[in-house]
Amino acid sequence: MPVSSHALTDALSGIVGKDRLLTDSASLARCAVDGALPVWIVRPESVDDVSRLLRLAAEERLAVAPRGSGTLMGLGNPPRRLDGVLDLSGLAAVVDYEPADLTATVQCGISLAALAPRLAAQRQFLPLDPLDGSARSVGGVLATNASGPLRYRYGTPRDLLLGVRFVQADGTVTWGGARVVKSVTGYDIPKLMVGSLGTLGVLVEATLRLHPLPGAERTWLVTFPTAEQAAGLLAAILDSPLQPNRLAILSGTAVAGRAAGGAAVAVSFGSVPEAVTAQGEDLVAIARGEGGRVTTAEGGFWARPWRFPAEATVMLKVAAPPSEAAALCGEIQRLAGELGIAAGILGEAGNGVLHLAVRGNLPAADWDTRLITPLRERVTPAGGSVVVERAPREVKERLDVWGPVEPTTLALMKRLKSEFDPLGTLNPGRYVDQI
Amino acid sequence: MSVTPALIRALERIVGPEGVVATPEGRLTYECDMHTFYKGAPDAVCLPTSTEQVASVVRLCLEGRVPLVPRGSGTGLIGGAMAPHGGVMVSTTRMNRILDVDLPNRCATVEPGLINLWLTNAVKERGYFFAPDPSSQMVSSIGGNASTNAGGPHCLKYGITVNHVLGLEVVTGAGEVVRLGGKVQERPGYDLTGVVVGSEGTLGILTQVTVRLLHAPAAVKTALAVFSSVEDASEAVSGIIAAGIIPAALELLDAPIIRAIEEGIGAGYPKGAGAVLLIELDGPRAEIETQARRAAEICRDRQALEIRVARDDAERALLWKGRKEAAGAVGRLTPNWLLQDAVVPRSKLPQIMREVVTISGRYGLVIANVFHAGDGNLHPLICYDDREPGQLERAVQANEELLRACLALGGSVTGEHGVGVDKAKSLALQYAEADLNFMARLRRVFDPQNVMNPGKLLPSHPACGEALQPPGAGRLPAGTWV
Amino acid sequence: MSIRSETLAGAGQLGAFDLRDPPDLEGIRACVHCGICLPQCPTYRVLGEEMDSPRGRIYLMRAAAEGRVGLTPTLVRHLDLCLGCRACETACPSGVPFGRLLEATRGQIARRAPRPLGERLLSGALLGLLSHPKRLGWALGAARFYRQAGLQRLVRATRLLAPWSRLRALEALLPASPPGGDGPLPEVLAARGKQRGTVGLLLGCVQRLAFPQVNAETARLLTWAGYEVLVPRDQGCCGALHLHTGRIDEARALATHLLARFGREVDFLVTNSAGCGSAMREYPHWLAADREVEAFALKVRDVSELLAEADLPLRRLDLTVTYHDPCHLAHGQRVRLEPRKLLAAIPGVRLVELADSDLCCGSAGVYSLLEPEMAGRLLEWKVQRIAATGAGVLATGNPGCLLQIARGCRERGLAIEVLHPVELLGRALPETEGIE
Repeated sequence: MPVSSHALTDALSGIVGKDRLLTDSASLARCAVDGALPVWIVRPESVDDVSRLLRLAAEERLAVAPRGSGTLMGLGNPPRRLDGVLDLSGLAAVVDYEPADLTATVQCGISLAALAPRLAAQRQFLPLDPLDGSARSVGGVLATNASGPLRYRYGTPRDLLLGVRFVQADGTVTWGGARVVKSVTGYDIPKLMVGSLGTLGVLVEATLRLHPLPGAERTWLVTFPTAEQAAGLLAAILDSPLQPNRLAILSGTAVAGRAAGGAAVAVSFGSVPEAVTAQGEDLVAIARGEGGRVTTAEGGFWARPWRFPAEATVMLKVAAPPSEAAALCGEIQRLAGELGIAAGILGEAGNGVLHLAVRGNLPAADWDTRLITPLRERVTPAGGSVVVERAPREVKERLDVWGPVEPTTLALMKRLKSEFDPLGTLNPGRYVDQI
Repeated sequence: MSVTPALIRALERIVGPEGVVATPEGRLTYECDMHTFYKGAPDAVCLPTSTEQVASVVRLCLEGRVPLVPRGSGTGLIGGAMAPHGGVMVSTTRMNRILDVDLPNRCATVEPGLINLWLTNAVKERGYFFAPDPSSQMVSSIGGNASTNAGGPHCLKYGITVNHVLGLEVVTGAGEVVRLGGKVQERPGYDLTGVVVGSEGTLGILTQVTVRLLHAPAAVKTALAVFSSVEDASEAVSGIIAAGIIPAALELLDAPIIRAIEEGIGAGYPKGAGAVLLIELDGPRAEIETQARRAAEICRDRQALEIRVARDDAERALLWKGRKEAAGAVGRLTPNWLLQDAVVPRSKLPQIMREVVTISGRYGLVIANVFHAGDGNLHPLICYDDREPGQLERAVQANEELLRACLALGGSVTGEHGVGVDKAKSLALQYAEADLNFMARLRRVFDPQNVMNPGKLLPSHPACGEALQPPGAGRLPAGTWV
Repeated sequence: MSIRSETLAGAGQLGAFDLRDPPDLEGIRACVHCGICLPQCPTYRVLGEEMDSPRGRIYLMRAAAEGRVGLTPTLVRHLDLCLGCRACETACPSGVPFGRLLEATRGQIARRAPRPLGERLLSGALLGLLSHPKRLGWALGAARFYRQAGLQRLVRATRLLAPWSRLRALEALLPASPPGGDGPLPEVLAARGKQRGTVGLLLGCVQRLAFPQVNAETARLLTWAGYEVLVPRDQGCCGALHLHTGRIDEARALATHLLARFGREVDFLVTNSAGCGSAMREYPHWLAADREVEAFALKVRDVSELLAEADLPLRRLDLTVTYHDPCHLAHGQRVRLEPRKLLAAIPGVRLVELADSDLCCGSAGVYSLLEPEMAGRLLEWKVQRIAATGAGVLATGNPGCLLQIARGCRERGLAIEVLHPVELLGRALPETEGIE
């Protein structure tokens, strides 16, 4: 039964306290979800708060969007309904960290940047390096399945999330997985939560697998006049026993300020100093054989924020078979050239995932018909996909930002959504096929 | 809910008469997996050769709400590949082709019945391997590995099966054929591949698996560190991990196991030792040389008596032979045993090993240990003799107490063997009712009619009319995978 | 779901078995159902069925011993389909003596689970033929006539035997060219050079008639290796085929005769037939526990074992050779390295490994005649793998395998010589004038 807005405000502040309920227009504007303004924002301080808030939301048939650092609030479709934003940045504690276990349990609102020094003090780290920076929250990184060049060695959030506490749409606090590095007890619920964009539950606590920080790390840059020419080097690295911990292909505006040339392959080795040197020598030999120009990168190469995504009009995540990464970069640059727009690509080259940032002025229809649709037609036959991670509203309205999902699989996903969020409380409309 | 002659005829129309086993004698041989304590013969077994056949069989059984039980090589340790409620067993042994090997994309697509080791054999000459290496890998199927999310010694460095499954083709309990994930490593939507891996055939039947292939490391170094006590060895394990060294494998074997191995196999483990650690490092040569030196220092700090490094492949193979056939050799210690697969946080290893000694003393039973120490994944073998009155009961109690002790330290009910019928009830030790309820609802989404492998994985399943036998009394004398 | 039923051992009964040579219960219990044997089992490889795997067959034996199942035609069928290759024994980490369990169970079946008359007549006739060199000699003579008179071509061309698959299988085994024989070997052959010892040579029923040259070369090589070779007359048969088909008492009678013919004066009892060697090593299990029998069994050697230790003056043969492991050599006697070592020792020989070299070729004694369909599928696999090696010679040390593989290669038009290793070694050895 809907309550008056006054009664709702009372109920919300009864849960989180008056100072953690925000309704001023500046805050609402700051927390807009893909342009949609919420009516209120709450900043819960505990898991129990989240549970009570969601129970209230379910009872009142309200639609809620969870928010971590707010970096990717434009990801997905614009919300079908939006009442409130659940700002989880207050849930930022390190719950448990036993360095000898190489695991940490944290609240999901903690940012990567806040967690990293705690771990670094024990010479450990959480190897997640999303492009959009370390300000992002752990929960946001998990919910959006974000990754970066470290993925080549350490995998993605699905490989690092051991256990997860989440609050279901009806407020039920639920735990899945384990706090230890190896467990097959029951279904692997953490896998279901990774990348689900908070549509099945609000992530509040995560047990993460950590890795030892390598004793030394150095990065080599191999530049080529065109991206296609990098294909041989990438294939040779993949078909070798070299163990890079980061492997990326850079092209277009992503190269600017990082290297000279049309495209670059950035490879870093993290290990004991002798192994870094030895592998670097092997790499240099392979790279020269492939006709690349080799330089070593300066220390802050990976730490410096990437500028090219920040300036982009449209951000795309293109997934394709890894062996096609270099060729695809080349094709994209050619396409951008024809359209007169500037494209920057940072590709997780060994995994076939390209982060593409495009800057320029095109009519909304052209973004769709001349860039995104052709790209989808290019990669879909091999099982690839193009997700529009950021785009002007009028572009988003023209197309399916997630791209097609095979119908029987989609039907299964829809059944999952309606099983766990039958009222559409959590991020309604934002996920694939607007579920 | 029963298998009628008409249903058998319908099965025969789908898979051909040579693809259906309906004789009592034939069905009898399918009544258990390696955990032979749990027996339940299916009413019929069918051996499909294609996805279409599997889908037709599932749809046929859905019509009559006949239970379906998938089975690979039948080497599980949890009573997973048996039919507690009868029904139709779907054996994937005739679906064992390698469909595609794509080395530039470092992956392969196989049918579920393919034997794990055969995939590595098919690609090793070109320098690649399939990383998950359960001790049963020479017989267990990749479909079975994916269904149980199998582990193995080298999972310490490389991760368990789910980390190596890129895609699946599944016939769900609703009879749909869905393709999840694949060669391309990311897709929009929920990660259903990750959910179906480890679901033990309760969500659907796998018909294709796309797996990662890894390039073989540049170098491998295998060493045996000898200790006078399990406690010292456990401290060394914790020390190595804490020092930031993640070996490819880090296995601990205690005195009873060493004795059994040396009597049975003769792997060259020192007989008088209290414990040994089998340490394998792989990767760039310079890296493993440095790490090996550091690991040796740590072992010596923890009072290692001796550290032996395998000088060649033959010596390495012998060290591993001892480890891999350890369980087979346990038959020399005891006529019967119970096997536990619980996990503790690795820093708690010394503590749990003290607890094992206490429990062993309290129940007056030998508990032998051979396990994946680097992961904290214990495999205590509780030795008993079922001819001695009361021993079985004591062993069951000791087993239960051990499991509870692991969970009290923040551990997990099962690290790699899975749940099956054996540990279904133990799930409540790790999960609250809400957690289990979430899993039950997830199951319903895939299997709305409760036909997929009823009685497995979750403590109570609507299709499971009767209470299951209490776990623990299985006889697993020799040759068990641990 | 039921709990493991306890063994039902009534008076004079062990479930479905009686107490006359029942399968050893401890042996059955040693199986822990791990399944390592499955991928090694030829019938499981072909069918993928549990009851046609070693684990399943042991489970059926166990169920029979526990009285859960009788010696039903279905159970008999699954045991009949077993080749008795014993690859499962090689794989088994628990040491289950599968071969003995199978033979004992077959013994019970042979006595107590009557088969159709036709099957009994056929297997009886085959055994009667194969284990009596004289009868076999007569039959082979007839076969030669059959071939020389052009009847073989006629029969093959008209597919006259098509409906009788077992007869067809027998017909197909006949070698393309009649084996030459230079008459019987002398009873004693002296060692060349310094004498290392005295050996008795088992001639083998099939070997001496189908491949007399193999026996001749065996004797010659042994003398070059420094052995005095005794070839007792009227050796009879080792009983292997009888044992494999469950005719345990007949096997015992043959074994007793053989033991008497080979006295105690030999250091080794040498055979060039894997099946015979394997059976003779098992004598202590089947004959009453007796020191003499045990001593005899310990003296049994495959010819490759003795020759591998010898220093033979071999000449160059430029050949690519591949080697098929006879089941009863690799699995039954664990002899794998010696034949390879011998072949590789011939200068100029390039030995290439055969994929699944120890997977049964389908011959398995009289199996290829009794179960031609399964045997044919295994032969098909074997020939494919042989073809893939590109070798010019396939070597294998068992007459059954030689006949079967030669037939497979012939039928599929694969131009490859199929030889016993001693034949190849004989070619590399200097000619000797007669036998010294």
